[in-house]
Amino acid sequence: MRQSVQELFERYQDNLYAAAFHVCRNAQDAEDAVQDTFIQYYSTQKEFDDEQHIRAWLIRVAINKAKNMNRTFWKKNRVTLEDYMESLTFETPESQELFETVMSLPLKYRIVIHLFYFEDYAVREIADILNVSESNVKVRLSRGRSLLKEKLKEEWEHDE
Amino acid sequence: MTNKEKYKQAFSVLHPSGKLSVEVDNMMIRKKTKGLQAAAAATAACLLFAGGSGIAYAADIGGIQRTIQLWIDGDQTTAVFEYDGNGTYVIHVDGNENGMENEIGGGGIAVGDDGSERPLTEQELMDTFNDPYVVYQEDGTVWVIYYDQKIEITDRFEDGVCYVKLSHGEETLYMTVVYQDSWYTSPHKYQKPE
Repeated sequence: MRQSVQELFERYQDNLYAAAFHVCRNAQDAEDAVQDTFIQYYSTQKEFDDEQHIRAWLIRVAINKAKNMNRTFWKKNRVTLEDYMESLTFETPESQELFETVMSLPLKYRIVIHLFYFEDYAVREIADILNVSESNVKVRLSRGRSLLKEKLKEEWEHDE
Repeated sequence: MTNKEKYKQAFSVLHPSGKLSVEVDNMMIRKKTKGLQAAAAATAACLLFAGGSGIAYAADIGGIQRTIQLWIDGDQTTAVFEYDGNGTYVIHVDGNENGMENEIGGGGIAVGDDGSERPLTEQELMDTFNDPYVVYQEDGTVWVIYYDQKIEITDRFEDGVCYVKLSHGEETLYMTVVYQDSWYTSPHKYQKPE
């Protein structure tokens, strides 16, 4: 199946942006990654099984685009994470603290944490999206949670 | 609140700026502009100065423009490298078939032992163009890009780490790649991952 770019854009642009931002920690690069992802969707002839398949593919491509962007030497003048955060309005101080703490984690932990807690993906689905083993995802998730608990203390519950 | 609810609340503040476009024409124009960037990144552009006669001073920006030869996917392309004297550069590449000029921007800083920062010099920026780097493709393959070399390392990871020896002319680099995380290079030996 295929869906229109317009339809997917309206539905998933925030999700893709959030995923890309977790990789780049930079608004401009994250936006570029999202735009490139929709270009990729528009350009590809790939057929999808259902909407969940499209969603997972879009997130995977956005993450990979963001990683590529992170690693290219073609750097632009960038707004720092600190400056960008000043432009955001958090509902509570705890939300801001959680945001900052997640952003301080190593990439391999924060992207897995994001896919689990924000996108509600299961371990197996995260493994598919990131092209790593399920056990690898479990380890990253566990270590990421431990780091969050260590830094956020009572603001972050123990969970599995 | 559950952890998931807290997480979603915290990250619900993230939204793109509204500059993104889904109109096909706009997307494709953007793609043409960015296509060069991607192509350049995919080939580890090799820059060569065209010679002294190519140097021109750009009084309006206070910087220096040089005509350079940029290698993109094996094709040598004439471009203008413009350094602003403050750590950033722009490369202007000849217009494409639609007469649209492509620009590639970049820059960087160096951090000293005492934490002080300074803008990279023109030569330091140029030197970074030849550094190898890793690209993760949508199809799951992983590549090391170095000058005109594209080396697939997808199946060479053991416990998430891959070691690649790179050669260009008389230069040899030992590269350690940690899957989906980072990489290190050294002209002397393989670095151990953190």
